[in-house]
Amino acid sequence: MPKVVIDNREVEVEQDSTILDAARKLGIEIPTLCFLEGCSPSTSCMVCLVKLKDQYELVPACATKVVDGMVVESETDQVHQARKASLELLLSNHLGDCEAPCQTACPAHMDIPLMIRQIAADRLAEAIVTVKKDIPLPAVLGRICPAPCERACRRGTRDEAVSICLLKRYVADVDLAAAEPYLPPRKPDKGKAVAIVGAGPTGLSAAYYLLQQGYACTLLDEHPAPGGMLRYGVPAEKLPPSVLMAEIEIIRRLGAEFRMGVRVAADPSLGDLKKEFDAVLVAVGQVKDSAETLGLRASPTGIQISRKTFQASADGVFAGGDAVRPSRLSVRAVADGKAAATCIDQYLCGHEVAAPERPFSTHMGKLTQAEIEALMTGVSPSPRASAEAAGEGLTRQQAGAEAARCLHCDCRKGDSCKLREYAEAYGARAGRHKGQRRSFEQYADHREVIYEPGKCIACGLCVQIAAAAGEPLGLTFIGRGFNMRVAVPFGKSLADGLTTSAAKCVAACPTGALAFKRDD
Amino acid sequence: MTEVDLAFVNRLVERLGRKPEAVIPMLQALQEHYRYLPQPALERLAEISDISPAAIAGVSTFFDQFRHRPMGLHLIRVCHGTACHVKGSSLIREALLNHLGIPVSGEEDTDSEGRFTIQKVACLGCCTLAPVLQIDNVTYGHLTPERVPVVLRDFLELDRRRAAGGKKPPRPPTDRAAGEIRIGLDSCCVARGSGDVREALEDAVAETGAPVAVKRVGCVGMCYQTPLVEVVLPGEPSHLYAVVEPADAKAIVLRHFKPKGIRRITAAVSRALENALTDEAWEPVTRYSIEARDPPVAAFLGRQQHLATEHWGRLEPTDLEEYLALDGFAALKRCLGGTAPEEVIDQVRRSGLRGRGGAGYETGAKWSRVHQARGERKYVICNGDEGDPGAFMDRMLLESYPYRIIEGMTVAAYAVGAEQGYFYIRAEYPLAVRRVRDALAQAEDNGLLGENILGSGFSLHLQIMEGAGAFVCGEETALLASIEGRRGMPRLRPPYPAESGLWGKPTLVNNVETYALVPWILRNGPEAFAAIGTEKSKGTKVFALAGKVTRGGLIEVPMGVTIRQIVEEIGGGAANGKRFKAVQVGGPSGGCVPAELADTPVDYEALTEVGAIMGSGGLVVLDEGDCMVDIARYFLEFTQDQSCGKCTPCRIGTRRMLDILERLCAGEGKKGDLEELEYLAGTVKKASLCGLGGTAPNPVLSTLKYFRDEYEAHLAGRCPAGRCKALITYSITEDCIGCTLCAQHCPAGAIQMNPYQQHEIDTEKCIRCGTCKSTCPAEAVKVE
Repeated sequence: MPKVVIDNREVEVEQDSTILDAARKLGIEIPTLCFLEGCSPSTSCMVCLVKLKDQYELVPACATKVVDGMVVESETDQVHQARKASLELLLSNHLGDCEAPCQTACPAHMDIPLMIRQIAADRLAEAIVTVKKDIPLPAVLGRICPAPCERACRRGTRDEAVSICLLKRYVADVDLAAAEPYLPPRKPDKGKAVAIVGAGPTGLSAAYYLLQQGYACTLLDEHPAPGGMLRYGVPAEKLPPSVLMAEIEIIRRLGAEFRMGVRVAADPSLGDLKKEFDAVLVAVGQVKDSAETLGLRASPTGIQISRKTFQASADGVFAGGDAVRPSRLSVRAVADGKAAATCIDQYLCGHEVAAPERPFSTHMGKLTQAEIEALMTGVSPSPRASAEAAGEGLTRQQAGAEAARCLHCDCRKGDSCKLREYAEAYGARAGRHKGQRRSFEQYADHREVIYEPGKCIACGLCVQIAAAAGEPLGLTFIGRGFNMRVAVPFGKSLADGLTTSAAKCVAACPTGALAFKRDD
Repeated sequence: MTEVDLAFVNRLVERLGRKPEAVIPMLQALQEHYRYLPQPALERLAEISDISPAAIAGVSTFFDQFRHRPMGLHLIRVCHGTACHVKGSSLIREALLNHLGIPVSGEEDTDSEGRFTIQKVACLGCCTLAPVLQIDNVTYGHLTPERVPVVLRDFLELDRRRAAGGKKPPRPPTDRAAGEIRIGLDSCCVARGSGDVREALEDAVAETGAPVAVKRVGCVGMCYQTPLVEVVLPGEPSHLYAVVEPADAKAIVLRHFKPKGIRRITAAVSRALENALTDEAWEPVTRYSIEARDPPVAAFLGRQQHLATEHWGRLEPTDLEEYLALDGFAALKRCLGGTAPEEVIDQVRRSGLRGRGGAGYETGAKWSRVHQARGERKYVICNGDEGDPGAFMDRMLLESYPYRIIEGMTVAAYAVGAEQGYFYIRAEYPLAVRRVRDALAQAEDNGLLGENILGSGFSLHLQIMEGAGAFVCGEETALLASIEGRRGMPRLRPPYPAESGLWGKPTLVNNVETYALVPWILRNGPEAFAAIGTEKSKGTKVFALAGKVTRGGLIEVPMGVTIRQIVEEIGGGAANGKRFKAVQVGGPSGGCVPAELADTPVDYEALTEVGAIMGSGGLVVLDEGDCMVDIARYFLEFTQDQSCGKCTPCRIGTRRMLDILERLCAGEGKKGDLEELEYLAGTVKKASLCGLGGTAPNPVLSTLKYFRDEYEAHLAGRCPAGRCKALITYSITEDCIGCTLCAQHCPAGAIQMNPYQQHEIDTEKCIRCGTCKSTCPAEAVKVE
């Protein structure tokens, strides 16, 4: 039995084992996209590259047989760079967005396409969960948000953007009108308390998420009622106080304590709060000299914090929202509150504090008119529901019609795509290489499966699987080189090509090229 | 679309069988029959054979030979080989498209009347005639954009004549030989009109009754002199006539052979005789008689040494008797007469022969591996899938010396223990296929091939597989895949074909030239071979010398000769008094050796050291008018187009490299582009699965290394060689004499006719084809 050394660790493996087998035996993870147990290695993706001692070229671990005495490098900088290079090349011709442009543009990064699908399916109880995962005050924002998401909406390049903001408001209004509005579950009490100075959008948002994590939250505000600029900075006709109060009420029901009319300066001072609470979040909004008043270091725009951790100059003190940097966007304030809550949670758990980073995402950028049309399959061509037409908010029928306008540009396999996973792990940059790319296409004729060739990495697993399943037509590679694509022979439909093996192909496809149609 | 008659498919399956591996020959037959692959025919094929729809669709879209939409009445194949590229093939193609009213950018390749279909081909292997195009089977060389309409007219005229008359069958050879008139008749000679000259010579011989035989011989090598006629008389030095036209035939015959009987020399013939002897500059071509003693010919031949091309210009390619009379098959006879396989391998090893296909692996060692590999069945394969643009050595060897290669292969088969084998020859080389097929039949009929060769008990069956047009199939594992009826995708090595090749059996794959050298080595002894060349590169190498060189041709030189000696002595230096700038060696896998390094010897290691490779032997000379960024872009365009698409680095990496090079040539380069190009080159080189990707960056890396200033100039929006269209403008200087020639010839109508006045070029309309510059008698056209 041959012995092989990988990253200075020796292992003995069966005859005819590959380097990948040997690495697995050692517990060294080598990334693979095109390799699947049970299929013959296609040595296509070149993400599993490893370096052999004394050889210039790198070799794919999935197919390189181990020879006795082989010395392999896997976790070295050179090998990682090579894997990253392969990933970046694949990404440069990957026609698809991991995350829809609306979600990327939303400062709170709400999963808008999912919400819209839930609205379309009239599953509003699920929609409100989706919304409130990132936006604790959707009825409020549904009335005042300038909706950066809609400026990014791809449908806008065809006719007009989807009325995302009104849809969100619809979900929230329906929820608030219910006998028992949605109340998120709370984790068991952690026995720790957080003081939140300022009961505006940032503070309210932080409280909403900290409470869910099992912390006690007390909001202190110098005004007589909570809401901050939402109450005192927005005209009531635009945002009726009743709506604001209804959403604050939910936060109160979740366990928030409000100490109104309290100005944190000398009495109580920040020091006092630090004694009473385990952590303090300063979310006072755009208040002049707030840093000096509280005895914190200032930045040119407000209280100085580390942008990665939301920590201010005093230990255990965090700051966010307009107190740090003024923004006219309430939705940004809300997003800041959520991010600060995550950091406070990490701090209180004794973990390393780091604000959550955005997950890796590819962006198709501007599509041609023909490409947009490819996305229009099954999408309503109707015009946008305008705010004026909506008046008091969308009706159920209007909401359904508007939801049907969404192109759903987000990836169906955003959570299971191996390309995305490794791109993230290896720090690959999706936009590194600019140049010729293929066109976005979509094949939706199959009952269960949808095929987007732009996302295909040409690994050929589906071709192999369909052939092994004895499909009469199956799939094949058409053409050669950069223009090569996987298709059903003779231009037949996907339904004809995959009669029995569609599900297997979807499971094997390492990207979102072959995916199940959505039922959510 | 009209109904497709599918009866042919049924007959085809009856003839070729239902087996999946027959897919490529099947598709070739279908394409020949229908002139494209109609989908109903493909579907029928899937229905009635064991070939799966996936295989039919996959294979038929992989190879360039196959076409999925109807074709025009005539097919125009425009060569885009290296030599053609540097001599303006893209301008020829544009001129054709313009002339036929086909949009230059677009998918359409056939004119609206369906007369002509235009196809870009990687290389027609007629590099010395560059730029070249082929209409059906007629080749036109030395084209210019303005000659395009003339060529089309000429072809249609020829076609009409052919349809009316039909071709005369070649006459049987006569044995009343008081001498021989030899004429080279391989593809490039034929392309230059040698076929017509031969007919005229035969007519002249018949008419005058001269006691002489007209003999077809293989490649003469002196492509720059063809049609080349050699008159050989016993006891006399031979007489060579260069650039002969049919009208000269009678004069040549009469010069050497007195007419029989009392036939009178007509006045016309007598005049022609005068012309041949006296008129040296006869427009539009110059014809003159040369002798081997003449300085240019002596220089062309001086450094050459003919091993693979032994008996060049003398052998009738498919005449087995003649080959036998010149010691042909002596090496095989000796092997079968009692030399043990191990001893044969040892001799090859001692000769120091290395593979002539490019990588230079030791031939003896390879044979030994196949010999030692266990397997009840083994194969030998001759790799004649010469796809490099700018190379035609293999074609010439196959066309001119088919028996020599068969002999070499048979010896190899004997040495490694194989009883089956394939000639893998590009379908683009029909003459090579035909001659090898003839030679195989002859050899078999004479007991030199087939069962029980020469009564030795050793058997070998060779067959021809026609490559369907994919450069990557020169890579041995891709070649094997295509013989097995699959898409020509390479696979990871090891295992090497020597252990696991065709159908998983031990397989010897050698290049054409490698086999061609084997008989010489065995006849003359390994030491004689090893005495030629350098320490690590033994023997000779055949090169196709082309590009901007005075005397292009096919040459065989001893290893160790320097590039300078080849270009300047053999090739006579850069053509038209221009400055020799670099030589592109090794095609798309090779690199550019700058003139400063021209003293680099022809040697595997020395060439690799300067960033080129020996490759299969294309040598394209570049002069000061050639832009090195454009050359790099050209090669990347080729490899990018030919990438099989299997692995990421090659499939996408070469595309990204090409993106940058295209930006540079379009004047849209960005800061950091050169660094990114180098980074990508490194990535593609290191991480590609096979040699195509692994060497694809070489043309870029070598030009970046030696001509970085040109890259930087492009970044700054200048093309120093005045070649990249987006970066240059044409204008007319005060030297204009107002002759209006430029205006008459401009295909874009960018010059107003203005007699006796200085002309002007409308830059908006100008397509930068260079026609005005080449027609201007006063050198008044300036390119900046």
